[in-house]
Amino acid sequence: MNDSDTNTVQAGDKASLYYEIANLVMRVLLPPTVNPDKVLPSFRPFLRDTDAGQLVSTVKVNFTALDEDITATKLLSEESLVWGDHFQFRESETYYYTILRAGHGESEWKMRSSKDFSTNEVYAVEQEIHSTTVLAWLLMVTFAQAALPYDTVLIHASVVERAGQGFAFLGKSGTGKSTHSRLWLTNLPDFQLLNDDNPALRIANDNTVWIYGTPWSGKTPCYRDLGVRLQAVVRLTQAKENSFHWKKGKEALITMLPSGSALRWNSGLFAAMTSIFQRVQDRVAVGHLNCLPNAEAAETCYTAIERKQKN
Amino acid sequence: MNLREDLILRHVGEDYIIVEPGQDQIDMSRVYTLNETAAWLWEQLQGKEFQLSDVTNLLLDRYEVDETTAADDAEKLIELFRAQNLLKG
Repeated sequence: MNDSDTNTVQAGDKASLYYEIANLVMRVLLPPTVNPDKVLPSFRPFLRDTDAGQLVSTVKVNFTALDEDITATKLLSEESLVWGDHFQFRESETYYYTILRAGHGESEWKMRSSKDFSTNEVYAVEQEIHSTTVLAWLLMVTFAQAALPYDTVLIHASVVERAGQGFAFLGKSGTGKSTHSRLWLTNLPDFQLLNDDNPALRIANDNTVWIYGTPWSGKTPCYRDLGVRLQAVVRLTQAKENSFHWKKGKEALITMLPSGSALRWNSGLFAAMTSIFQRVQDRVAVGHLNCLPNAEAAETCYTAIERKQKN
Repeated sequence: MNLREDLILRHVGEDYIIVEPGQDQIDMSRVYTLNETAAWLWEQLQGKEFQLSDVTNLLLDRYEVDETTAADDAEKLIELFRAQNLLKG
């Protein structure tokens, strides 16, 4: 691909890019000196040449500093799983502020977002825009909130797919979600990885439930512009032997809830996420797999789901 | 007293639950389960300022109980709401 393949529309001094993820559109405005394919390589498959579709969020990227004193704003969090203590999340009457330092850098990235994350300004560190993944991460935070009113939630999961059907594996970091996906790919015919870390789950207008690839896939470069029907959601726990059981109602909701990416500080966004999972548990099979990292675990899980589909 | 306005009562499967967002991203959110009577009272009391006597009267209207039992149940229920931090303030 050369640079001219990237579709851009000039708006003022910024190039407007439209990325479509789970049928929802993010508009990203980059400084003209920046090559989007180099700065956001994982977004390339999601780039569209028009703004057709449901716009959920606009992110304007600047190389200037935020012209506002935010020391008096309310500190909501000082720690992040990704950025450790080089991170702050703050709130004022009108905005949320995400502030972080990447790597050894002393300079701070800042993002100012409207309370629904539909409008966002990133104050980027110019010399870090290529060498870090901060921008892609900020776009993930933004999308995860802005998509919620559209029955779409970004979940922490590894997902495999075959013939238009998707299977999502949940679990705490280090549980072996990715490992379990690999076991499906190796031991069951024709399965492929859809996403390894942050797929988007969406309830369509006809109440069918879909799972989509996204530009965010953790350490695995798997950025697929594809949506499939979600067949099952399975939470994994490490155990000494493999066993599977189904969850219903309240238990199914509780199984999914910790894996959703809504901010806990905004009761409206959190309630929107909970409502999505409440509807999903009515329409998609939710289970729990105690498992070893072996082929039998994949077979136990697959057999349980297959049996359920037949009934 | 008032019920917290940021909480939503949900009917999931056979259960009535209230999900409280965990303040920590890693932490599990807390889920309270309400029985049918508590859930019905939650719906009646939502968005209203109420006293113990209001809850007692609601119970008297709906169930065939004497006033002492209703007042007793009302008190227990309010204590439960308070203990689980479901009341405002």
